[in-house]
Amino acid sequence: MERDPLEIYKTPQLQSPSLIVGWQTQDVGKLGSKVIDFLNEKLKSQEVAEIKPLGFFPLGAARFKHDLLQVPESKFWACEEDNLLILKSDEPVFEQYRFLNSVLDFAESYCHVKELYTISGVVSFIAHTSPRRILTVFNKAELKRSLQGYGLENMTWEGPPAISSYLLWLAKRRGIPGVSLLPEIPIYLATGEDPHAVKVTLSFLNRRFNLGLDLGGFDLEIRVQNEKIV
Amino acid sequence: MGIKLYREPKLEKPIMFVGWPGIGDIGIIAVNTLKDILKAEVFGEIESWDFFYPRKVSIREGLLEDLEFPSNKFYCRRLENKDLIFFIGEEQPTEGGGIYASGEKAFQMANLVLDVGLKFGCERVYTSGACVSLIHHQMKPRVCAVASSENLLKEVKKYPNTILMSEIGGRGEGEGTITGLNGLLIALAKKRGLESICLMGEIPDWLTGASLPYPKASKSVLEVFAEILGIGIDLSSLDKMEEQIEETIGSFCSRFPPELKEGYDQRKFIAQANPGTITVEAQIHIDERFKKGGDEGGERPT
Repeated sequence: MERDPLEIYKTPQLQSPSLIVGWQTQDVGKLGSKVIDFLNEKLKSQEVAEIKPLGFFPLGAARFKHDLLQVPESKFWACEEDNLLILKSDEPVFEQYRFLNSVLDFAESYCHVKELYTISGVVSFIAHTSPRRILTVFNKAELKRSLQGYGLENMTWEGPPAISSYLLWLAKRRGIPGVSLLPEIPIYLATGEDPHAVKVTLSFLNRRFNLGLDLGGFDLEIRVQNEKIV
Repeated sequence: MGIKLYREPKLEKPIMFVGWPGIGDIGIIAVNTLKDILKAEVFGEIESWDFFYPRKVSIREGLLEDLEFPSNKFYCRRLENKDLIFFIGEEQPTEGGGIYASGEKAFQMANLVLDVGLKFGCERVYTSGACVSLIHHQMKPRVCAVASSENLLKEVKKYPNTILMSEIGGRGEGEGTITGLNGLLIALAKKRGLESICLMGEIPDWLTGASLPYPKASKSVLEVFAEILGIGIDLSSLDKMEEQIEETIGSFCSRFPPELKEGYDQRKFIAQANPGTITVEAQIHIDERFKKGGDEGGERPT
């Protein structure tokens, strides 16, 4: 018998919120993790649910990276004040269809999510001193039109899909509009961190959701990194 | 997870031919070519998303247009005296990142294929794959057969250019496994009361890791299919592919060290003098698979 992979700690009080998803595996420039961690800290989000790893991740051995144990995690946070639902997750290795539907089941059935935003860095042949564009993939033309004033760039691509595209496709089948935000990361920062791309992404979210976030701290990080690279 | 039928064709005791990718893509090329030659029409599919990760996304000007999955489609054709169902799966489902069909998903997929066969009154199913053999690539591949009953073995013996596994030298009593879905399907078919036969075209052992199609063996299997159906079929559609592959293989062979090439070329004469001395590598082990519950090689999606 198939077990319900969702474990709900608390049903959040949200009014047709937006769902923001960040992936922490294959996380180019650590963008997804950094953006989600910043939002959760500054918005004082609360953990509300998780998708249990059984069946979605290889659990036969302990994985470690930089000497640290890596345990697969897929957790939902809610920020009731700003009406946001946030998911930070490892990318499922198996049963992606069931996993992504579990994400949408929680978002749709328990939280009545109205829009979906996914965040992943995309490797680009730009210099670290160049501006970071945010490339986008929308699953509905209406949402694309409504975000026209945000300086986003349209992506054109044919090839193997990222997990975010798969999630967008499933969301579209459920009638949930969504967009993948794909900020550019200079190729030589892909395995490190890119505070510039993190700031650009947070600036977009700040403006879109009127979050009132102070992003000034990133300027120092960007300056320090630029000096180090030089 | 399920079956989607676009329509319900009227079929009488259809024979089912099933093809998946594997070593040399021998089976899928054979079944797909027969399906095309007979102009079989699609009538249903097994929905892919529960079995496979999508293989292609199309994004244009910032809009996600389509997500493409490997297809698993059913086709049918009514001949004068036989009705046919074809199933073509573009990929074998695997679990745990393996390259061979395995685990619960493979089991579910095989059962869904049989569900459709049984729904339309199917009593017999054929799968096709590769028989890894010490054959020379310039020889005509034979077709090695495994069947679900003694009566079927008697019938199989009458097929042209076909031998039973026990008739191949070095294979003991005809023991082995047929890995991947071609093996799993015929075993499950037997369990569910259907007659089942796997026809495997010979492929030279050293080509199994080459990721090349081997249409020469598919042609041998197709000749047997034609005999089974009592029809004549024109296999010229495979000539060009066969020619190109022969050229590639010939080019590999020309780079063999002389002593290796000499040994390899001797295969032609040994086989011609005494077909019984050809041995087949230990990739074909029917039944053991179910004792062990495992799947360690053989069929390989490309």
